[in-house]
Amino acid sequence: MVRQARSEATRRKIVTSAVELFNEIGYPATGLGDIIERAEMTKGALYYHFDSKESLATAIIEEASTRLVEAFRSITTSSAPTLESVIHGVFVVADLLSTDQIARSGTQLLRAFGEFNDAAARTYRGWVAEMTERTRQAIDEGDLRADLDPQAVGETIVGLMLGAELLASATAAGADVLARVARTWKVLLPAIVSQESLSYFDEFLARESMRHSPAPIAD
Amino acid sequence: MTEQLDRRADTTRLQILRAASRQFARKSYSLVSLDDILADAEVTKGAMYFHFRSKHALASAIIEHRAAVARASVDQLLARKLSGLETLIDITYLVAIEDIGDEIARAGLNLLESVGRTDGLQADVLGQWVTAFAAVARKAVRDGDLTKDCDPESVARLLVSMYLGLRQTSNLADPDRLLHDLEEMWVLVLPGFVKPDRVDYLNQFIKRRTAVAIKKATPL
Repeated sequence: MVRQARSEATRRKIVTSAVELFNEIGYPATGLGDIIERAEMTKGALYYHFDSKESLATAIIEEASTRLVEAFRSITTSSAPTLESVIHGVFVVADLLSTDQIARSGTQLLRAFGEFNDAAARTYRGWVAEMTERTRQAIDEGDLRADLDPQAVGETIVGLMLGAELLASATAAGADVLARVARTWKVLLPAIVSQESLSYFDEFLARESMRHSPAPIAD
Repeated sequence: MTEQLDRRADTTRLQILRAASRQFARKSYSLVSLDDILADAEVTKGAMYFHFRSKHALASAIIEHRAAVARASVDQLLARKLSGLETLIDITYLVAIEDIGDEIARAGLNLLESVGRTDGLQADVLGQWVTAFAAVARKAVRDGDLTKDCDPESVARLLVSMYLGLRQTSNLADPDRLLHDLEEMWVLVLPGFVKPDRVDYLNQFIKRRTAVAIKKATPL
């Protein structure tokens, strides 16, 4: 029991050190030696948990994916109308990307590995399936147009999220991901929201973006 | 071994609470007899007295159990990080849905009005509600939805009174009517403390919540 806890603490320390290094100098430039040094571990300790740099990356992708999906689900299982939850949920995920180191590193690794890594491929497929299902519900609820193809909308939403994250990390070190997410929703909503609901969602999005922009003056 | 025994005792306690809630949700406090509860819970008199000394002790336990559950679901709502006023609206709809379809929730509120009035529990529990609502209302002022000069504490007390009055004057067995009544009350009170340019959006927000709630609520 004690041994297990100690082993888990070691593993955690390795993951944290790797995440730090990947975020500082990038995955390709980071060697296993750097990680061992940062974690103050022996080579043996690292190899006991991970047999390669890629298996370490896979663990980070999986953990990031779990955190992000859980954050999204905790929003979308509420009693709010589905499309409201989806929009709000994407903001919460984006917020996590800019505040949570593991989530951020995992997403970047996801991009680096893409289809060449099972965990990465699973993560992409999971998000598309999730968004497709939510799209179907939002069509049922009348907020999205009835003539839409749920799969196509699901893929578009996931693509926009990933694209906004990519642009944010490529041009501003991830700092403005929330503003980019708000802008992509603004472009996308008129294309998919039903006529009756559009003005409501305009306002919904404006309020959401305002809440996620830095507060002007705290009182 | 003791852990196992404890767990069994907890299960029995919950079993009695549920059976009692089924009764208190449908009948007034004075009309419910301990024998009805015993028969429904399928436990012995001994087991019942081991956990609850009297009908009154049982009623207080239901009120407290329900208050704890409600606190947890409000915390969950707060974790969604919506705006303060949207959270307040969501809380009232959540309370209504549970009052309509959940025996423990219904019994808890019924008992709060009857036994709770005389033994101080009502003041306690409603005081907690008002404190919790007021904290969210203060956030709504910071969000800029509530007017600067409104008192969050008064808004909180108004909303608590609004719901407790609604469950008396409307019909808990008719979700459609109760939820529409809740919507109308919200629409009526909003202009009293919300900034004028936010009212249209919030009215729509409320209508949309009613539609979802009607689909979700199933009466006892």
